[in-house]
Amino acid sequence: MKFKTLTLLAGALVMSIAPTAVLAAGKTIAVSWKTFQEERWKIDEAAIKAVVEAAGDTYVSTDAQGSAQKQAADIEALIGQNVDVILVVAYDSDAILPSIQKINDAGIKAIAYDVQFEDPNALYITFDNVGVGRIMAQEMLKVKPEGRYAFIKGDKGDPNATFLFQGMMEVLKANIDGGKIQNVCETFTDGWKPDNAQKNMEQCLTSTNNGVDAVLSENDGMASGVVAALDAQGLAGTVPVTGQDGDLAAINRVALGTQLVSVWKNSTDLGTVAANAAIALADGADPTSIEGVAKFNGGAKGVEMNSILLAPTPITKDNIQVAIDAGHITKEQACAGVAAGAVPACG
Amino acid sequence: MTNTTIGGPAAANENAVQRFIRALELDTRMLGMLVALVVIWVGFDIASGVMRPGSGGLFGGSFLTPRNLWILLVQTTVIAVMTTGMVLVIVLRQIDLSVGSMLSVVAVATGVLQVFELGPMLGVGHPVIWLAAVVFAIALGSAIGFVNGVLIAYGQIPSFIVTLGGLIAFSGTAFLIASGVTVAPMDKTFKLFGGNGPAASIGPIWSWVLGAAVCVMIVIMIVMSRRRRIHFKFATKPIWAEFLTGIVGCAAVLGITAVVNAYPYPPRVAERFALDNGIPIPPGVEDRAGTDICMAGEKVVSCLDGLSFATGYPIPVLITLAVAVTMTFIARRTRFGRYVFATGGNPEAAELAGVNTKWLTVKVFTLMGALVGISAIIASARLDAATTALGTLNELYVIAAAVIGGTSLAGGIGTIYGAIAGALLMQSLQSGMALLNVDSAYTNILVGGVLVLAVFVDQLYRRRVN
Amino acid sequence: MTTESMSAETAARGAPLVEMRDVSIAFGGIKAVDHASLDLYPGEVVGLLGHNGAGKSTLIKVLSGAYKRDAGTILVDGREAEINNPRDAKALGIETIYQTLALADNVDAAANLYLGRELRTRWGTLDDIAMEAACREVMGRLNPNFRRFKEPVKSLSGGQRQSVAIARAIHFNARILIMDEPTAALGPQETAQVGELIKQLKAQGIGIFLISHDIHDVFDLADRLTVMKNGRVVGSARVADVTKDEVLGMIIMGKVPPGAVPGPGAI
Repeated sequence: MKFKTLTLLAGALVMSIAPTAVLAAGKTIAVSWKTFQEERWKIDEAAIKAVVEAAGDTYVSTDAQGSAQKQAADIEALIGQNVDVILVVAYDSDAILPSIQKINDAGIKAIAYDVQFEDPNALYITFDNVGVGRIMAQEMLKVKPEGRYAFIKGDKGDPNATFLFQGMMEVLKANIDGGKIQNVCETFTDGWKPDNAQKNMEQCLTSTNNGVDAVLSENDGMASGVVAALDAQGLAGTVPVTGQDGDLAAINRVALGTQLVSVWKNSTDLGTVAANAAIALADGADPTSIEGVAKFNGGAKGVEMNSILLAPTPITKDNIQVAIDAGHITKEQACAGVAAGAVPACG
Repeated sequence: MTNTTIGGPAAANENAVQRFIRALELDTRMLGMLVALVVIWVGFDIASGVMRPGSGGLFGGSFLTPRNLWILLVQTTVIAVMTTGMVLVIVLRQIDLSVGSMLSVVAVATGVLQVFELGPMLGVGHPVIWLAAVVFAIALGSAIGFVNGVLIAYGQIPSFIVTLGGLIAFSGTAFLIASGVTVAPMDKTFKLFGGNGPAASIGPIWSWVLGAAVCVMIVIMIVMSRRRRIHFKFATKPIWAEFLTGIVGCAAVLGITAVVNAYPYPPRVAERFALDNGIPIPPGVEDRAGTDICMAGEKVVSCLDGLSFATGYPIPVLITLAVAVTMTFIARRTRFGRYVFATGGNPEAAELAGVNTKWLTVKVFTLMGALVGISAIIASARLDAATTALGTLNELYVIAAAVIGGTSLAGGIGTIYGAIAGALLMQSLQSGMALLNVDSAYTNILVGGVLVLAVFVDQLYRRRVN
Repeated sequence: MTTESMSAETAARGAPLVEMRDVSIAFGGIKAVDHASLDLYPGEVVGLLGHNGAGKSTLIKVLSGAYKRDAGTILVDGREAEINNPRDAKALGIETIYQTLALADNVDAAANLYLGRELRTRWGTLDDIAMEAACREVMGRLNPNFRRFKEPVKSLSGGQRQSVAIARAIHFNARILIMDEPTAALGPQETAQVGELIKQLKAQGIGIFLISHDIHDVFDLADRLTVMKNGRVVGSARVADVTKDEVLGMIIMGKVPPGAVPGPGAI
């Protein structure tokens, strides 16, 4: 399976960087967070902190509280503290650029963490977003190599919605051109809202008289609306549905069989890889020498940057255990309502 | 408004149509909306028929099918319930921008209560869970509305500001309550409020019983009103007008009942229902266009003439109808409703007449909150999940529905049934566009345009009437 | 006329219906009414005169409960009355016809007539038909040509609206009636009708405060008059004891003629 090799690759990255880190004790690694309003960043922080402190280095951080101005001031303060590397989760990828210039001028290394800003000197570490769409389509192809596909896309104003769709199309193109797959419904969903996705799916089922064999929903929230619409027609569990984010409710749906896959970006992986890369940079390593680094120029301005693109993990019925082991979800939450013997992880 | 007194100044020089409308005491504005609704429905049915011929609709499309109309009614409920309260808020010259975020808070808190708290405590599926969840949702909504009302009336902060603050703050609150995770699945009984599944509708027999009962009610109301008017020696409607009102009212009720009864369980749902209840599935020939189910050898297939179960009125639609009737009653037949309208017409005059307008404001916002609670129940039950995103931006649709339905932002004017028709019209546009697989960007442009057009037409209408 | 003769007359007429003593009210530091005293006897019309901003409407709104006084006492039937809002005033039989009419424009005549005192059926619901019937009855007396019972009062003429406001004030057995510029919006014929109405009400023993800036109205209808200037009472007099010119002098200059009793605002 492809995701396994990717996961192994991520593991190898972690392993290969770790030994050099031991040499770097006494450095200071800083993170400028854009906001702690969102729960997920706490998981990233825990992972980064763990790696940094295990290496004997110091971890410092600031929270921009969702303000580009505050983030600029935060970064100036961090520069003043003579830190060695700053990981930046940019609130605004353009407004952050003057601050990045100041980091460069001070001789400090910058890492664009999860959110891209286009500066050639920085290292960009994120999940492969186009890859998420590809993984969804690949998982779907395994169970429905042909048939009538519905596409429930995210908000039309969010470029990710289009990236995801592009990724899907790369994988499905051959089968669509060969007439094996028909695109029967394709809609954007205002605000990625589950209730809008539900209404769109209801209308899709009405217009096709339930003639839908597979639904590619771009995230788990919308998948919940899609599954509710399918359920009303007695089709939940027979029509496979995709999603991403590793929502707890979505992992439960995967276990129950009403959702095929939830592509999960394991924030712990991202934090670990980034922290190790930061330690390596603090030690004076050349970015290109860090394992997994490749050139990336897929940003809005096409600036070429060194980057590490991590592959996300598709969670299916077969590997729910991965999310449970990572502490992302408890077995009780994942397996609520699942019949005994139906899913390996649920026993 | 019509004048029933024969010989009044308005009776002079009017044509047959005007006389006809006057005799029936018809709300011509509402009549216009119904015509618009019919035009939209027929338009979508024809358009969808051109796109996918042979979908079984009245004009060959898939819009005017029992299935689509049934779903359309369910899709309208969440906005429709809230808009009945928004009418009173706007009539009172206030606004509530926080209803969408309030819905998020109530839905998420109610979800957490039933899934994370009561579920593990009492055991999943315990009958107390859904009851507690329903009471909690309405109580929480009322409490938030009450606080809004107190801040507006006694804190003397404009409602625009208080509820704008609420719009921003409540979405944050909703996020914190469940740390941003989606709460699912809902309690099995609670889920019935969403209208999905066989048990979430009342079936054909009860639907007919209900339709007939409403029909009888209409007749009784016409007779009682006529007797009261005769008792006080007021002019009455011509007898033919009374009959026509009764016949049209009954026909509408029974027609809608026939439509919801014409929507059968979806084939897979029917199959499961038949299996669960030991109902034999007759043999038959497969026909994809059919809505019944048959046995073709070992396989259950769709067919034209086999087994089917009529769905009837779904629970959320019944709730909405009950809310509509109750709110109309409150607005028209109670002292509270009279005060809301009088205060909206002239707050100073109402205060001088002895109306406690501050307390009235608190009551109206509390009522609005309670209705948001009901909508939160329907929305989360229907999605079978509660998320922070649920309800976001609903305030705009709720206000738009009220305004399209003829509620004047200047205060004092508005009707409950108009607002519900407004909600239905807006959802028809959205559902119809989705049925045609049109990009939601165009739908947004259309809905926004209709909102402005509706108010423009309304202004022209009012200028002509006055 | 002397104070003694006035009090002699007082004794003849019994206790006053209303007595306002040293009432003061200020808005944002400006004294709109400053230690004003005023009384009213059954079956008497007291005219309240003064320029715009003299404080007469404000003083009367204290009595009708629209404003809450800062200082002073109000006695109704000789007993101290606590009037903090319009409901309190109505409970004491004090009804007001405001200059603005204070009608809810978007509802019909019956709803305005009964606003705040709706008739209800035995189920607690509004009894619109009974209210309309009563409205037709009272309006039939005040304005026999009135037909537009089903229309919002916004669409009525100035005179029709006025009659709705008057109907509301007299329909609930008022004992004390406050009329603030009741003829301002009316034509000559309607003004005459209001005059007739005041005489009828007076004959029924109702005490009336008539607020006006039209000195002729007051001389035609009132028994006594009180003049206010800059929030203070200039003086009071029986209409028979003063001339119009003397009253004009009181209004414009605050000069009290010999026939009047000076107040705190006199010079």
